Amino acid sequence: MMWSWIPGNWSLIWHLTWENAKLGVLPALYGLVLSLPLGVIAARWRWFYPPVLTVINILYAVPSLALFIALIPAFGLTDTTVIIALTVFSLCVILPNVVAGLRAVPAPVRQAATAMGYGQLRRLVTVELPLAVPLIIAGLRVGVVSGISLASVGQLIGVSSLGYLFIDGLQRSFPTEIYVGLVLVIALALVCDLILVAVRRVLTPWTAGPRESRRARAGRLVKVAG
Amino acid sequence: MITFEAVTKRYPDGTVAVDALNLEVPEGRTMVLVGPSGCGKTTTLRMINRLVEPTQGRILLDGTDVKSRNPAQLRRGIGYVIQQTGLFPHRTVEDNIATVPVLTGWPRKKARARARELLALVGLDQELAKRYPHQLSGGQQQRVGVARALAADPPVLLMDEPFSAVDPVVRASLQDQLLSLQSELRKTIVLVTHDIEEAIKVGDVVALFRPHGTLAQVAPPEELLAAPADDYVAGFVGFDRGIRRLSFVPTAGLVLDASPVLPADVTVAKALGAGQPWICVTDADRRPRGWAEAAALAGTPADTPLGQVATEPVGHTFTVGTDSLRAALDAAVLSPAGQAVGVDSDGRVLGVATFDQIRAAIQAAGTPAADARLDQRIPEGPRS
Repeated sequence: MMWSWIPGNWSLIWHLTWENAKLGVLPALYGLVLSLPLGVIAARWRWFYPPVLTVINILYAVPSLALFIALIPAFGLTDTTVIIALTVFSLCVILPNVVAGLRAVPAPVRQAATAMGYGQLRRLVTVELPLAVPLIIAGLRVGVVSGISLASVGQLIGVSSLGYLFIDGLQRSFPTEIYVGLVLVIALALVCDLILVAVRRVLTPWTAGPRESRRARAGRLVKVAG
Repeated sequence: MITFEAVTKRYPDGTVAVDALNLEVPEGRTMVLVGPSGCGKTTTLRMINRLVEPTQGRILLDGTDVKSRNPAQLRRGIGYVIQQTGLFPHRTVEDNIATVPVLTGWPRKKARARARELLALVGLDQELAKRYPHQLSGGQQQRVGVARALAADPPVLLMDEPFSAVDPVVRASLQDQLLSLQSELRKTIVLVTHDIEEAIKVGDVVALFRPHGTLAQVAPPEELLAAPADDYVAGFVGFDRGIRRLSFVPTAGLVLDASPVLPADVTVAKALGAGQPWICVTDADRRPRGWAEAAALAGTPADTPLGQVATEPVGHTFTVGTDSLRAALDAAVLSPAGQAVGVDSDGRVLGVATFDQIRAAIQAAGTPAADARLDQRIPEGPRS
């Protein structure tokens, strides 16, 4: 480990981290945008989902490098290639969660909303999607974290990311670079994950435990311990 | 008023849920649809707000076919309460209650103010307004459900097994509250239940369904108990319908005997002189202190005041005029003296009634006149 390498390459490290973050986060957001309408359709028309799920699982089984290579003829050795491939992967993990989230809306809630006089679209936007948020964000977290990790593979087709540090470190037999890359990929994933947890807390205040019940639970534990 | 005209609901698989139903729900009354599961009562209810569309026939709401109305518009004018409450988990209690006002375009502030009013109306504390549904008990959630249904002040209220998911004590209090709300609000209520006791307690009219969506009898509860149309109805209503029917017979015709009632300052000698087997001892305000048995007083010094002798507790009394004969009979059954103590609204003893006197009152009441029934409901008051 050569600590002095780090300050000397500060701007390179920063640039690669930023590129990696972009390549990890953007596809997850695109995946979310695609998953929402598909998920809504799949939750409404049940026959639609099984074939879609089959296609998705097949795509998810394709190795990321193979998918990059398959896209090169169309998009070249560019960010676009990596972003499209990773969007497909993030769709694979987010869509099932959108469907599960919408299906998990309790039937009485849906029925009550209809009986109160909600139209279908309004019910979807103001009742069903908000209730699906915890599961959708759970899917998004997996999508973002795996996207950040897969983005480094993009380096193999020449797209900048923290993957550069792995390849360069390996070629020069310089482990410091590899360690720095590894720590940064994990740190980046962790930071993005924490941000999403915070977003979920803000969007779903109702999932926070009531103060009373927390106190009650504490009381129960004390009783058990005593 | 809601009118069903030859309404049939047949599902694609051929199942007939409701079969050529004709039914009229009177304005401002509570009609209870009751019957075994699969009898079509819930389907009937849901056809009113078009959650289910009939295969044949018409449903008129105040003379207009519901089919001619826009479903969402129609539903905003009909309150809806279901067993599992269907409260929105992601909205606070006040926003749940404000649902329909907000849907119909009220400003949020006004809708929330209305929600606070309703919270009070259904007997919930204002501090619950900012809680989420899962932070409430089952009974509180059900009250919020009722408040939400009433928020836009709809003339019609549909309730689908509203109290089935709570324990019996909470259920009884929710039923009592519905009765008191209804006496104030006079909504046209259609309530579905499988519990005949509930039907008899809250219904002005009870529609008893047979399996497969036909009606067995439509009648006020007391008539259902007194004159079941056939064996099916009699069986559904239960074996003790004779006693339950007494809930609808007032105590006004009951002859009370004041002679066994003596105040505490009367001496034992004088009390025994009255020749009663049991003496109902009262305090200076004529409130009951207990029963003293003449046979047990034989060894007591003659000049002892009744206030100092051992007595047995009165048990519960009945309030003359407001309680029913069922309460009087129950008071007699539970009394050590076999006599029911009748009190006025202030709890002062008016007299006592023996089994014979109660029986005479039951016979005098006879079968209640079918047409006078709706306004003769005796609410079950609290028993002291």
